[in-house]
Amino acid sequence: MNTNTNSTVFLKDKKSYNKKKSYIRRLWGDVARDRYLYAMLIPVVAYYAIFKYAPMYGVTIAFKNFRFADGILGSSWVGFANFQRMLRSSEFLLILKNNLLLNLYTLVFQFPAPIILAILLNEIRNKYFKKTTQSLLYIPHFISWVALGSIIMGILSPSTGSINFLLVKLFKIEPIYFMTSTFWWPIVFVLSSIWKSAGWGTIIYLAAITGINPELYEAAHIDGAGRFKCILNITIPCIRGTIAVLLILNMGHFLELGFEHIYSLQNASVRSVADVIATYVYRVGLQGMQYSYTSAIGLFQSLVGLILVLLTNFIVKKMGEGGIW
Amino acid sequence: MVKGAKPIMAFKKNATIGSKMFDIFNYLLITLITLATVFPLINFLSLSLSSSRAISSGEVFILPVEVNFGAYINLIKDGTLVKALKNSVVVAGCGTALNMVATILGAYPLSKKRLRGRGILLGLITFTMMFGGGLIPTFILIKQLNLIDSYWSLWLLGLISTYNMLVLKSFFEQLPPDLEESAAIDGFNDFSILVRIILPISMPAIATITLFYLVSHWNSYFNVMMYISDSNKQTVMTRLMQMIDKLKTSLLDSSELQIEMAAPESVKAAAVVFSTLPILCVYPFLQRYFVKGVMIGAIKS
Repeated sequence: MNTNTNSTVFLKDKKSYNKKKSYIRRLWGDVARDRYLYAMLIPVVAYYAIFKYAPMYGVTIAFKNFRFADGILGSSWVGFANFQRMLRSSEFLLILKNNLLLNLYTLVFQFPAPIILAILLNEIRNKYFKKTTQSLLYIPHFISWVALGSIIMGILSPSTGSINFLLVKLFKIEPIYFMTSTFWWPIVFVLSSIWKSAGWGTIIYLAAITGINPELYEAAHIDGAGRFKCILNITIPCIRGTIAVLLILNMGHFLELGFEHIYSLQNASVRSVADVIATYVYRVGLQGMQYSYTSAIGLFQSLVGLILVLLTNFIVKKMGEGGIW
Repeated sequence: MVKGAKPIMAFKKNATIGSKMFDIFNYLLITLITLATVFPLINFLSLSLSSSRAISSGEVFILPVEVNFGAYINLIKDGTLVKALKNSVVVAGCGTALNMVATILGAYPLSKKRLRGRGILLGLITFTMMFGGGLIPTFILIKQLNLIDSYWSLWLLGLISTYNMLVLKSFFEQLPPDLEESAAIDGFNDFSILVRIILPISMPAIATITLFYLVSHWNSYFNVMMYISDSNKQTVMTRLMQMIDKLKTSLLDSSELQIEMAAPESVKAAAVVFSTLPILCVYPFLQRYFVKGVMIGAIKS
């Protein structure tokens, strides 16, 4: 009896051993078969390890007092001191407020712009008119913020700008100092981001609209629905999924206002509304060499972005859309 | 877009007054938006060709007034922007070549569902789109790698755009598998399959992504400012920013400086045109491809 059970146990062991062995052998076989593919991935993995994941490790300096002489490992730990300093600093609270306000304006005004533009473009019947306008609307996307920034400052200049010349001629008013006024600056900021991105942004929405089943429109037409009703009840509901995905992706960059965009329009007189996390980290962190403190701010920004992505994804899913995972 | 045109044709047959009104309004609105988009660009082009007198008296709107090439001649004589332009060609050219090699090497293996460990790798790669170390740790890394003042800092930091790589991966995934299978039977290895079979049929996607990388290198300002301080290695965008910064204060201030300002205004406009035109020249040639390419990415993701 005893030997019998022993031998079955042994047999079982051997079976699972064989199974394991064959799994390893299969794995090895697969890896050997795909050796060229793995070889191709070597530089890619190295890139992500060195330039993406190493800085994530480097973010530990947010909890340290970093000095170049000591290196990342050698610098002493300070716990949450940098974060406490951040939350107590009135300067940080001001840039956070600026950042959030500009984000909010961007979300409310810039995000819907390509959607509306795409819907309007889709209603254009003349193929050549449509193609020409589209090509022209894409152009600002290919121009750098440095160039766009100087164009904006140029045409809005109170002394030589065309916009001010026009305003003065038409309405007989004094020239407006758009770029140095804390009222006008955020408006110029948002309009400029619409200018650069709305045309290009239509591509994705137009692709989504193309995918709508034309029978829906035909049926609606037979039922006597007008163009405007069709847009409201067919086009918009059908691209809701695309809108949701882009919204989630947008939220991931919520606190990131493009540094180049802000920097190219910023000047000393509007700092009270135009100084944001990115410019602050650059000025205080790199120029002022307060590496650990500004790393803490950077980490705060990244974490907020991550949480917002997860949260938006969750809400969008609850609302019955696909989400991104 | 072809499919989208169909339902609208249904309306065309017996257009109601409401539908016609909608059309008129829509055409007008789109025309207006397009003009507003292009006006500042045309205005600047004209400024760069106009005389100082015309600019300061506010005569230049759409067409140049008292045409002259003085501003351009000044720029070429000065030489710094021309030199920066040459540097930019090197940075963008080599950078884009490296980008494409790395992106293809990443996208092709990851498009193979049979690859062991693919899920984990994709997860780790996608995560970097949502979370990163941030500016300061990246700066410290570049400094410790001794890449400050070397173009390698620009090339390596942006070697792969995760978004572009994932778009290319989706493109590879939807190619018919039969081609590769028959090539594998003929004894081709994965690398020669990629080079001889996959790449030649993927040109629209490759062209699109090449354009994206090229534009982002050409227009990049922040990284160059961060990592390149040698004035001999300046690119066209950092040089442009420098020229503008010098004029910034004078342009924003009161109108007392009007007369002195007019000349710099046309030089500045010329500098903007000079640094933007090269990339805009590439655009029409690749436009056919990139609309297709973006759509592939859009539908897939």
